[in-house]
Amino acid sequence: MAVVRRTDPVDLSIASARDEVPGATRGRLRRWLPIGIGLVMAAAMVVVAAAAPLIAPLSPSAQFSDAVLKGPGAVERHALGTDEFGRDILSRIIWGARVSLQVGLASVIFGFVLGVPLGILAGFRGGRAETLIMRCADMLMAFPTLLLALIIVTALGGSLVNEILAIGVALTPNFVRLARSLALTIRDQDYIMAARALGSGQLRLMARHVFPNALYALVVVATLYIATAIRTEAGLSFLGLGIPPPTPSWGNILSEGRQYIKCCPWITTFSGLAIMVAVLAFNLVGDALRDLLDPRLKGE
Amino acid sequence: MFQYVLRRLLIAVPMLLGAMSIVFLAMRILPGDPCVAMMGDQATTEALADCTKNLGLNRPLAVQYVDYLWRSVRFDFGNSFRQGYPVSDYIARMFPHTFVLVMASAIVAALVGIPIGIVSALKRRNPLIDYPLRIIALLGLSMPVFWLGILLLIVFSLNLNLFPLIGGGDLDGVLAMIRSGEVFSQPRDFLAGVADVLHHLTLPALALGFTLAATVSRLSRSAMLEVISQDYIRTARAKGQRERLVVYKHALRNMMVPLLTIIGIFVAIALTGTVLTETVFTRPGLGKMLVDAIGARDYPLAQGAITVFTMIIIMVNLVVDMLYAVVDPRITYR
Repeated sequence: MAVVRRTDPVDLSIASARDEVPGATRGRLRRWLPIGIGLVMAAAMVVVAAAAPLIAPLSPSAQFSDAVLKGPGAVERHALGTDEFGRDILSRIIWGARVSLQVGLASVIFGFVLGVPLGILAGFRGGRAETLIMRCADMLMAFPTLLLALIIVTALGGSLVNEILAIGVALTPNFVRLARSLALTIRDQDYIMAARALGSGQLRLMARHVFPNALYALVVVATLYIATAIRTEAGLSFLGLGIPPPTPSWGNILSEGRQYIKCCPWITTFSGLAIMVAVLAFNLVGDALRDLLDPRLKGE
Repeated sequence: MFQYVLRRLLIAVPMLLGAMSIVFLAMRILPGDPCVAMMGDQATTEALADCTKNLGLNRPLAVQYVDYLWRSVRFDFGNSFRQGYPVSDYIARMFPHTFVLVMASAIVAALVGIPIGIVSALKRRNPLIDYPLRIIALLGLSMPVFWLGILLLIVFSLNLNLFPLIGGGDLDGVLAMIRSGEVFSQPRDFLAGVADVLHHLTLPALALGFTLAATVSRLSRSAMLEVISQDYIRTARAKGQRERLVVYKHALRNMMVPLLTIIGIFVAIALTGTVLTETVFTRPGLGKMLVDAIGARDYPLAQGAITVFTMIIIMVNLVVDMLYAVVDPRITYR
């Protein structure tokens, strides 16, 4: 028996290009807006950090005895208030952006430069090299990023270079793992086989074929790790293990302000806000880029 | 299955050894002499030499290393330089404080994070639902736990006076009552003790839980996305099954397998979070103990705390791997 299902008449007319535009625009907007917002925020941070001497209203270490622990706007020239030494919070936050950005970028570059070649080598070559590299990475992965950075920075002492080194080493196993998994996928591709047939050596294959094809995914993840590095730096400074005062970093401004949360919550509020905005910027960019790459979300 | 467990155990042992070696070496290259840190700059050379000998720091590094490994296996981390009593006793006293904080924040994180992740994955085509949820998750991920903790302290402790500013409550007293059986003879006192602990625990658990919820929500969103793109979900939908049934009967149950792996990542993040959370809330615990020990150059204590942290993370990952094999039998064949 044939089943006849009643259906509503279907409009078979081709949708005009004008009808399609809002949907397409919405889709594009949805994809690119978070990246745009994140990029603008991250670019603003870079500009603030680079132009700190020009845009900071006062010196970050200048002490004003007549304006100790004053709230935002309570005294002229101190828009975000002052700390226990009468130092301008806004200027310290602007200068603190330098430390955060330097540590964020440099430690990720360190982890990338150290981890990616090792990961590609492990994934592409396999064998003993892979076992050795991956066991070392696993060993470091047993420590969470902050804990490993804390151990290293405790051993080396708190300074900008040591913080970069500590966070960089802590991030390295993440890059090793990712690069290895990408190399494992890429090494079986036809173009690798073709390049091998043409006589390319192992090193050339890894440098000219595997690395460029893994680069996009690696850069996306690196963006997310900048956020992790900035947060870790702030955590270390907050614990008193980062860059020692009086050099301003967002973490140590927050740590110093902790003693005054009862009378002067603005010190911790604004420095914490700066950390959050910076981390958010890189998370937004990294997230949006990752979503763009995620095949499960394609066409949505 | 047995072979798989054995293989995982065999991998865990060198990992633990390696991690412990890193801790040992890092602690030995710490700047500053621990004896000077203990006795001050005014200490005589003889007193410092005596101290070095008493602490066993004059022995060759290799001997110290083997001694450290052998002792650690027996949970003997030596005596604290500052306090004088065994590190393992100190760790045993601090562990329950950290444990309750991790458990409480896990509950907060699960209650907030998992529903957000699931709804965000299922309603990803509805920007009015997906966007706010993703923004909340991003904010949670970007907000440092120590800042959120301070904000909570400013609002709820200093301004509204609802929660204590410092401390962890009388958890030791509560545990002593359980051990001695007083919990049955003096239930009122016991409940008062528990209430006090919970009172002290609320803000730290909320701070840590909220930041963890962000990670949990992202991982559960990802797990849900993975599951709903599977063929059996399409089949269920093609059969004409209601969306609610598809989600509850098929997607949620299968989502739990990838969610299991979250536990390992979760414990690692939560333990790191306790270092910062316990410091902000001046709560006793392993994290605060570690920070204090580093500040005081008390390296048996710092070494003990880091070793315990690492052991917990490796053991939890091992257990998760095994649970994973139990839940998903295909894994043992790989």
